Amino acid sequence: MLWVDKYRPKTLDQVMVHEDIAQNLKKLVTEQDCPHLLFYGPSGSGKKTLIMALLRQIFGSSAEKVKVENRTWKIYAGSRTIELELTTLSSTNHIELSPSDVGFQDRYVVQEIIKDMAKSRPIDIKGRKGYKVLVLNEVDKLSREAQYSLRRTMEKYSASCRLILCCNSSSKVTEAIRSRCLNVRINSPSEEQIVKVLEFIGKKEGLQLPPGFAARIAEKSNRSLRRAILSFETCRVQQYPFTSNQAIPPMDWEEYVSEIASDIMREQSPKKLFQIRGKLYELLINCIPPEIILKRLLYELLKKLDEELKHEVSHWAAYYEHRMRLGQKAIFHLEAFVAKFMSIYKAFLIETFG
Amino acid sequence: MDMDMDIPNLDELEWLEANSHIHEEDLELSSPFPPEEERQSQPQSPSPLSVSQVDSHKRLRSDGPDSPNIEDVIPSDEKRSRVDDAGTETEEDWLRYSPPQERNAGAEEHETEVVVNEEKVVSRFASEIDGDFIPVTAPSGGDRVYAKICRVEREEKSKKLVVKPQSNGLLFEPVNVLLRRVEEDAFAKALHASSEGSGDVVLDETQMVHQHEKLWVDKYAPNSFTELLSVEQTNREVLLWLKQWDSRVFGSEIRSTSDDILSALRRHSSVTQQKKYSDSTFPRRSKDIRWTNENFRNSNNWNDENSNVKGIQDSWNKISRLTGPPEQKILLLCGPPGLGKTTLAHVAAKHCGYQVVEVNASDDRSSSTIEAKILDVVQMNSVIADSRPKCLVIDEIDGALGDGKGAVDVILKMVSAERNSDTGKENAAKGEQSGRPSSKKVRKTMSLSRPVICICNDLYAPVLRPLRQVAKVHIFVQPTVSRVVNRLKHICSKEGMKVSTIALTALVEYTECDIRSCLNTLQFLNKKKETLNVLEIGSQVVGRKDMSKNAFDVWKEIFQKRKMKRERISSCGTPCNEFDFLHSIVSNHGEYDVIFDGIHENILQLHYHDPLMQKTVKCFNSLGISDLLHQYIMRTQQIHIHAYQPPLAIIVHHLVAHVQKPNIEWPKSYQRYRMSLMERVEILRSWQNKIPPYISRHLAIKSLVEDSISPLLHILSPSTLRPVALHLLSQKDKNDLAQLVSTMVSYSVTYKNVKSSPLSSNQEYEATLDASALSFDPPICDFINFKGYSSGHHVLPLAVKQVLVHEVEKQNILQVSRSLHLTDGCNKEILDLADERNSENSVSNSPNDRAALSTAKIETGKNKVNPNQRNPICSTTLSNLDCSAMSNVKLKSSGNPKKPCTGSSFFDRFKKVSSKGSQNTDIAVQNTTTLERDSRPVLFKFNEGFTNAVKRPVRMREFLL
Repeated sequence: MLWVDKYRPKTLDQVMVHEDIAQNLKKLVTEQDCPHLLFYGPSGSGKKTLIMALLRQIFGSSAEKVKVENRTWKIYAGSRTIELELTTLSSTNHIELSPSDVGFQDRYVVQEIIKDMAKSRPIDIKGRKGYKVLVLNEVDKLSREAQYSLRRTMEKYSASCRLILCCNSSSKVTEAIRSRCLNVRINSPSEEQIVKVLEFIGKKEGLQLPPGFAARIAEKSNRSLRRAILSFETCRVQQYPFTSNQAIPPMDWEEYVSEIASDIMREQSPKKLFQIRGKLYELLINCIPPEIILKRLLYELLKKLDEELKHEVSHWAAYYEHRMRLGQKAIFHLEAFVAKFMSIYKAFLIETFG
Repeated sequence: MDMDMDIPNLDELEWLEANSHIHEEDLELSSPFPPEEERQSQPQSPSPLSVSQVDSHKRLRSDGPDSPNIEDVIPSDEKRSRVDDAGTETEEDWLRYSPPQERNAGAEEHETEVVVNEEKVVSRFASEIDGDFIPVTAPSGGDRVYAKICRVEREEKSKKLVVKPQSNGLLFEPVNVLLRRVEEDAFAKALHASSEGSGDVVLDETQMVHQHEKLWVDKYAPNSFTELLSVEQTNREVLLWLKQWDSRVFGSEIRSTSDDILSALRRHSSVTQQKKYSDSTFPRRSKDIRWTNENFRNSNNWNDENSNVKGIQDSWNKISRLTGPPEQKILLLCGPPGLGKTTLAHVAAKHCGYQVVEVNASDDRSSSTIEAKILDVVQMNSVIADSRPKCLVIDEIDGALGDGKGAVDVILKMVSAERNSDTGKENAAKGEQSGRPSSKKVRKTMSLSRPVICICNDLYAPVLRPLRQVAKVHIFVQPTVSRVVNRLKHICSKEGMKVSTIALTALVEYTECDIRSCLNTLQFLNKKKETLNVLEIGSQVVGRKDMSKNAFDVWKEIFQKRKMKRERISSCGTPCNEFDFLHSIVSNHGEYDVIFDGIHENILQLHYHDPLMQKTVKCFNSLGISDLLHQYIMRTQQIHIHAYQPPLAIIVHHLVAHVQKPNIEWPKSYQRYRMSLMERVEILRSWQNKIPPYISRHLAIKSLVEDSISPLLHILSPSTLRPVALHLLSQKDKNDLAQLVSTMVSYSVTYKNVKSSPLSSNQEYEATLDASALSFDPPICDFINFKGYSSGHHVLPLAVKQVLVHEVEKQNILQVSRSLHLTDGCNKEILDLADERNSENSVSNSPNDRAALSTAKIETGKNKVNPNQRNPICSTTLSNLDCSAMSNVKLKSSGNPKKPCTGSSFFDRFKKVSSKGSQNTDIAVQNTTTLERDSRPVLFKFNEGFTNAVKRPVRMREFLL
């Protein structure tokens, strides 16, 4: 088992990073009812962990007995029947799923499941009717229609079912849904918090941490706790006892992006752009999201740039990222950014060196 | 030719001939005498003479009120039918009725023989004929017989056959004169037909007077082969293809298209034309003539000759089998509209003696209808006069997607049926040639036995993909401008329209050699009494063709600067015109997605001058805008916004267009990217499904590669793990190994054999082993395997991998058996227990040497206990290592994962015996295990004092631990 999983807090009390949020959630839940919740924040910040701990707080350890199911739903939509297949994680008291996996038909899933759950309300020990919890992942990828249909069902079935929505950015969740939920923003852990967690793990594992080592890992981790712990374990595997200047193995895709960046700096021409296109495709094929590529590329380029260009380049990166999110073919916009950068940089070179 | 007057007009005669059947029917209906009369007269086979006398007598009476021109018909028909009788008899044909001549000659025995040998084909009684029949009434006598219908195409005149009582003495003229006249008749018809074919201008002109309102397109459509405007080469190939069918279709006429003629055709289509006409279109007639000549000499021994002909036919059959129909049974003509594809198909088919049956987009083309239609064409003989074999022309086969597909499917089915049943084909061929009615059954195989010509505009329409593979494809190219202009000039002069050659040339160029459009335009102008104006062609041509160019052309237009030719012709302003042109091209194509993908794919390969990359930036801006537009349109369904797409392409054109010819490729990379991305996501997804849910729920596919794969790879292949025998490992190493195995299990990663990879070749330990290497399964290595990038990941030696595989497998077996053994809840608790214990162990264990010692002790003990029982398991998982080493390895490693896994194990109990009360947690676990053990019944088996062994059921997993 990886340390990431081993030292994942199981209860709200164990949570180390977002202690205040965890305590608030605990208070919320102990009053026997909880509103719909919307967790949002960057990936690797601990949304899922908090949700799981919360579920455990509500339902006790039975929430951890989950099974994976490939469920199919038959939905009668007017004249035709739609069959949808979706993987769900469910325990007796909750169901977890990412409806955006079925694409544009996600609204049927949302409606159907909530109805389903409402039909069978669990009865708790004291004879009161309890509620089930539906955890929806990637709500920001839900289609507009699904979000609209969610809005009504949220209210209608609120007695029997609570929704916990989870997404990266709340901007793509409609106002209507946001106002029906208690919004919980989960920040990325700060570097100090990461260091704290790493040191905790080190102590548990009985490792000798040289001073500053955890800080270095935290710094490299992009404020993603998952990444920090993984690289910590990687370091442990590669070399122990640690030395304070031990190399922290980089992410391969980041290395590749920095190769691309140096390619761009070396030559600015349509030919080179064509080669870079191939490399960008390579990254995209291997499931690196284009936004991340663009961000990383900008980061790598900025490292090599003069001060005066940084502002302009950042501006254009933002411009093309915006377009990329509006559009569909990320490669167009990635290349457009590269072309723009090449153009700016070349003009700059000619200006300074004649 | 004293009797020539009897044949008043060729046309009229033909018409009468065609309708004679109807007339007969009419007569029959109007005839007053009851049919019983005939029936009673038949059985005794009365002397035909008397019958005919009676009949003709009655007939004369009954004919009285009828129109007089029937009288004209009768004699000629009589003669014809008689000759036909004879002809068919000689050829050993399918219409075997007892001929009147025989009765005349008193050759009764022959008749009976015929009757015995052959089944009844013509009879007085409908009940005597099995299968379809047709009533036939003699024109002169009103005699009624029933003729069997055989569906063989050579039976050309069956319906005209009439059993006519023969009376030598009562003929108006001697037989030979009659025969000669028939011959003449046939010849005249042949002449007529051929003149029809070769475009008799005089005839046309006489007709022209009446046809002023006819469309010029129809009016001047080519009637003969030589008139075709399409390229000679294509015409000839089509004709050649059609001729190859002759052996199959016309059967005995094989000699008419023997190899030498076919080769001659290849050389010279125009020369052989005449010959073909006489051979194929009028085969029967020529043969008739031949026969009648012989008949003159010796009309009585035709019987012998009959057998002779039979023999000859047999040999023909052989030939026909040798030179069967063409390999590709289907001809696919394709090309832009208005070049004369349909015309060529019709003319060529007619030329080769086929009757054209056309199915076009306006017809119902569902697969059932089309099937019926094809069957009709292939098998049925028409009832109406024109009984030439049919040739199916499917026009616009690429047109309607849903329906047209049906047609394609049916055709493909038939073609494949042909291929599959070789024997069936042979039978069918035989059946057709001998005309046996039994061949009906064979026809059920539905092989294609008639030429099928398909016509399409877009060869690469998706519907046609399967058809393209089986069909012979001919692509029409534009005829030369001068040729079209010449034809147009010819037509104009005939119509009395004055048009200058320059104007015509401009027109032809404007319409891109679409003759149909040219003619329509000309006729329209002629009607309006206008002349074709060179400068105003753009406005004069009423309907501009909606050119849908293929994507390559569109890209070419975008990337390549046009030569100034177009601008010269139309004196319009250059930039405006170019804009219009490009705009129409791009918007006509319609699939902006494809167009912009193509631009994106190819733009960086162009050679345009761009030192500061500004053009490139602008181009990519356009591409980006088009992407945004596309996405917006898709989301909001506001299709009309598509109107803003073409200008973006035009912007690109202005930025990068060059005179130089671009090297354009189809945009594949984006599709490829999407495909492989889906593949990768699928791998990740299935991997995620395999991982136990309490871990996998925290993994998002999206960010898995981003932040997990690389460290995971590092963790899974620690460089500190030395490839040494396991019993040589230090305690720390063992702990590491245990940790690694548990990670692999919890992430359900293992190693899998793959075909040789370069990595495995330089490892020292693999020299003795086979070349196969172990790699991760699921293939998580691939996710960091970027092109042109070498990752610094340590790769474990093969031996270590093998050990790992084995360990992981073992753990999996244990898990499975545990989940089988225990209920879900219990399992969970034990898991939790194990987890907790595991964490405690790993913290407290490493400094604790005593535990290590104890485990070592256990191992040795274990070794003594039962090595044999472990061996089979080893051999299943690891066949490569030798047994003893293997068992060693096994034992060592089995000592390690024991701790993290579960307490309810055989060796834990064992251990407890050896090192008493070592750990508190162990005791707790021990309690559960003893409880478990006690719940199981212990069997004492009493074996007559031989042994006092205790036997109890033992699980496999207890040995494994």
